[in-house]
Amino acid sequence: MKKYLVVVYILLILLFTAFSYLFVDPNFSYLKSIYTSFSFTHRNFTTILYVIFIFLFFLFYLIFLKLAQIKYLVYRQLRFIILTISILLLFSYSSVLSYDIFNYIATAKVTYFYKENPYIVMPIEFTNDPSFTFVRAANKISLYGPVWLVLSGIPFYMGFNNPVLMLFTFKALNVAFYLLTIVLIWKISKNLISVSFFALNPLVIIEILLNSHNDTVMIFLALFSFYCLIKNKTKLSILFLILSILIKYATVFLIPVYVYALIKNKEKKNINKDRFFYYSFISMFILFLLSPIREEMYSWYAVWFIAFASFLITKKYIYYFVVFLSIGLLLGYVPYMYTGLYTSSIILLKYIIIILSPLIYTVYYFLFVKKSVLAKGL
Amino acid sequence: MFTKFLRIILTFLFIVNISTKLVLADSNYVLPYPSFMPGTTYYRLHILWETIMKYWYFGSFAQFKYNLKLSDKYLVEAKTLFEYKQYLLGYKALEKSDLYFSKTHLFLKRAKEEKKNTGHLQDLLRQAALKHTEVLESVSSNIPPDFVWISEKSSPTVLNLEKSIKNSIQIRKKII
Repeated sequence: MKKYLVVVYILLILLFTAFSYLFVDPNFSYLKSIYTSFSFTHRNFTTILYVIFIFLFFLFYLIFLKLAQIKYLVYRQLRFIILTISILLLFSYSSVLSYDIFNYIATAKVTYFYKENPYIVMPIEFTNDPSFTFVRAANKISLYGPVWLVLSGIPFYMGFNNPVLMLFTFKALNVAFYLLTIVLIWKISKNLISVSFFALNPLVIIEILLNSHNDTVMIFLALFSFYCLIKNKTKLSILFLILSILIKYATVFLIPVYVYALIKNKEKKNINKDRFFYYSFISMFILFLLSPIREEMYSWYAVWFIAFASFLITKKYIYYFVVFLSIGLLLGYVPYMYTGLYTSSIILLKYIIIILSPLIYTVYYFLFVKKSVLAKGL
Repeated sequence: MFTKFLRIILTFLFIVNISTKLVLADSNYVLPYPSFMPGTTYYRLHILWETIMKYWYFGSFAQFKYNLKLSDKYLVEAKTLFEYKQYLLGYKALEKSDLYFSKTHLFLKRAKEEKKNTGHLQDLLRQAALKHTEVLESVSSNIPPDFVWISEKSSPTVLNLEKSIKNSIQIRKKII
């Protein structure tokens, strides 16, 4: 039964990989031969397919989590699933729901090919370069930190300035950090539920393995910093926290938690890991909630707190809240996918969808679960 | 009656047309506000910061921007100092502005050699040159042609301000 479940799940991922190629950008002339315009001309069908995929992914996610809880999913099998989906999605088309990978490539090209400072010079200034025509943030200077810029040199040079090849080399870098993050979660928690909670979360899979966002690089470095701190390697820990901040700046919000842990460490007191990850989760969640002030609440920002929530599996409310919020965030793409518009009313609808599922769960939790727990207590 | 009316209308349109052209001849390029002035506490620190920034602005496009930015900055500094009759300091600031302005062209040339499309930067430089010329022409009418700067402990310096401004305008006009 379990074997069939894994096979069906992998088939589903394979279908999703094929599905991603319906979204090939018409401006991305390098893949003109496989451009079908299907997702633009059959919006309703594409949206229905997407919604079905999301629900199936969450169904499998919850099943795998349940199997891990009853110890029916073993280390070896989980490793097989994670490696297989990583390899399959490595070959998916990268910009189904976001175009950030093109921004990464453009910034790297400005730096390493044109030898210009990407914090001063924008990609749009290279008017004779056709490879910038599909970059959405061509009129912006680099949005990412210098450590990301240095790291992006690896996939850039491995891509030999070929835009198609670079799509995959940049994705490979993010896949590598996704795997490293999982290894670290395992090393810290020694718990398969924690590993499954992060690694098989459909939002993490879609935003990291499909859309190839660099958030997992930042999170890996932050987690590694905490890992070093737990191992009493303070200097190394500080270095990795700085490196993490210099990827995308968001982990600067972890500094208060980090200082608290550092003080505990200096006092020769054991760091309470649960409390430490709980505060980290809260910090990153607050930052996520504040993100509309800066720009918008993007679903890949959820990776910041999902990683820390994976250590809080005993806290049932947080556990399911994150699952339901992940559903809401992925369904938040539906209005745009269906209409092709990004007006204020579409953005409002997106926020309503995002809020709806965690809200329903919260109401359910406080009306039924918490009440029954209290009743049992009495 | 009708011919007279037509003549008036045509004359009016002609004047409007000419004045529009005159307005269009002005550059839309915007110069920065005056920055720290020589003699202020932070001026030396500011100069140090500028030197560090030279390395931050790597790449031919970035270097072009760096030099144009400093050329603008020192032109505004020179204008302000001339207005306050600080002719020696103004003269030196103008020399610096000229130096940076001349360098912009070198980096555009380098960018071209690197096969970068420099069209938009050339337009920007032309706009900047127009604006600089405008400012320099307005300054030249308000300063003496020559000025003898008598320092406390050294020999007097003769500043040929008119010649200096003419030279600065000449540097900009080469671009236009």
